[in-house]
Amino acid sequence: MERLQQTAVVTLALATCLASVALAESRKEYRFNVGPNANISVDTQYGAISVRPGTSSEVVVTAILQSEKTEVDNQQRGNRVEIDSHLFPGADSQTGRVDYELQIPPDATLSLRSSTGPLSAENLKGDLTFEGTDAVVNVHNVSNGHLHVTTIRGPITLSDVSNGHVEISSLSGTVTMTSVTGPFVRASCGRGSIFYDGDFGSGGDYKFTTHSGDIEAVVPGNTSADFSVHSMLGKVHNELDLIPQHSRYAVEEGRSFFGSFGQAASKVVLHSFSGKIRLKQR
Amino acid sequence: MKCSDVDRILPEIVDGVAIEGSQELEVKSHLETCPDCSELVSDLKLIVRESRQLVASEEPSPRVWARIAADLRAEGLIREHGVEVARPVLIPAGRRRWNPFWLAPVAAAVLAACAYLLNHKPTQPSASLASQPDVVQQAQTQAAPPPSEQPAGQQAGIQKPAARATTHSAPQLAQRKSLSLPQDSSSQGQAPAQDSTKVATLSQPASDDDSQFLTEVSQRAPTMRATYANQLRAVNNEIRETKAYISRYPGDIDARQHLLEVYEQKAMLYQMALDRIQ
Repeated sequence: MERLQQTAVVTLALATCLASVALAESRKEYRFNVGPNANISVDTQYGAISVRPGTSSEVVVTAILQSEKTEVDNQQRGNRVEIDSHLFPGADSQTGRVDYELQIPPDATLSLRSSTGPLSAENLKGDLTFEGTDAVVNVHNVSNGHLHVTTIRGPITLSDVSNGHVEISSLSGTVTMTSVTGPFVRASCGRGSIFYDGDFGSGGDYKFTTHSGDIEAVVPGNTSADFSVHSMLGKVHNELDLIPQHSRYAVEEGRSFFGSFGQAASKVVLHSFSGKIRLKQR
Repeated sequence: MKCSDVDRILPEIVDGVAIEGSQELEVKSHLETCPDCSELVSDLKLIVRESRQLVASEEPSPRVWARIAADLRAEGLIREHGVEVARPVLIPAGRRRWNPFWLAPVAAAVLAACAYLLNHKPTQPSASLASQPDVVQQAQTQAAPPPSEQPAGQQAGIQKPAARATTHSAPQLAQRKSLSLPQDSSSQGQAPAQDSTKVATLSQPASDDDSQFLTEVSQRAPTMRATYANQLRAVNNEIRETKAYISRYPGDIDARQHLLEVYEQKAMLYQMALDRIQ
């Protein structure tokens, strides 16, 4: 009997907590009719933004507000949709948090900004821009568009990105790329590391740079690329059977190597100031 | 009701025109909770009230008005009738959100300084520099970090510039020479000192900008100050490390490119603050 009472009390307390959270949290949905190549931007100081493809002519935005200390401003100008979280005085990272879930046309141009994140997008084909201070950024299965990601501390993970112009920059976040290929791929980190797992495509221009972060690239045996690897103060390590190529520098044993693998279809530059660089074969 | 809704009916609110019953309650409720809108409405009401007290006899002549209008038109502050305005701006953006435009020129200045460093080639070719042990020693003394900060193996690498210079082919050296700035032969021995002076000159304004930047962050977003201060400290350290390396290995083009990238990251930090701090 006593146990039953305890269970009832705990259940009641839990229900009260959930109810209070539910009361404070409000959910709003906005729908916008758009044409091809719509331009969508979402800007929130605090909160997650996740995006997935929907129908080709409608943008559906679900905003989850954590309190009344913030509101959602939205406007549509033709094919352009802007969503903006507007904080009232006294709002902090908890009360000012607004989480967004978007369904957008796959070909839309998308811009997401959030200090805290996380930011995530998948299965899209338009130009994508992500910006976050501490935001974790996850991008999966995007193609045919520009992909620009900027964070200060937030880690960035890209997977299955193809045929796009990719530019990644983070001051201290780690960048992880799996099966990322394209004609132009840049990743620049300060203290964060860069991990790449893929074949560097065909005919692409890749450049990964760090200051003190390590760089590691794992490539399959059928990779076709010309490698230029240099760490000014760190060590480099190569497991590939490269054909030596002429370079503008004399090779410094342990700090640089240059060479081709396969048909050398892509150009790969891995530079670090003091980080270690490893080139491995899968 | 949101601020944008208030914007739309602001003229009616200020003029005291009757608003639909439910909307009036919403407006009242919004003005009670939104200090921005409340302040704006009270300011506009005050202006309207005071303007009604202007005496007609003190009205300037039409010529004065025409001259003022012409000046405002010339400055682009007023538009002719018929010119479509994208959206009437009733509330200046600055009222709602801090927008430190001063950071943009600062970021541009940082990049310009960086471009200068990138394009400023060594005043001496590496080979000739290496052939003057005193100069090399001086540059290392000025630029090298304390031994405790040097990565393992760094000591062994001190002789690398000479080794690298001697292994360069003739075209490579010719290319490097062609990139060098014109120099007075009498000043060759002063080159490292001049470089150090230039580096110090370039870094000094950045420090002032950093202080101003952090002050603004403290005022506008105190909770973010620690994040930006730490990141700024780290990126400044990276700049110092790279400059020290370039002082020792002035012919390393990758290092110069790296310095540019580090400056770009610093500019990115400023830019993100500009975008994010409200």
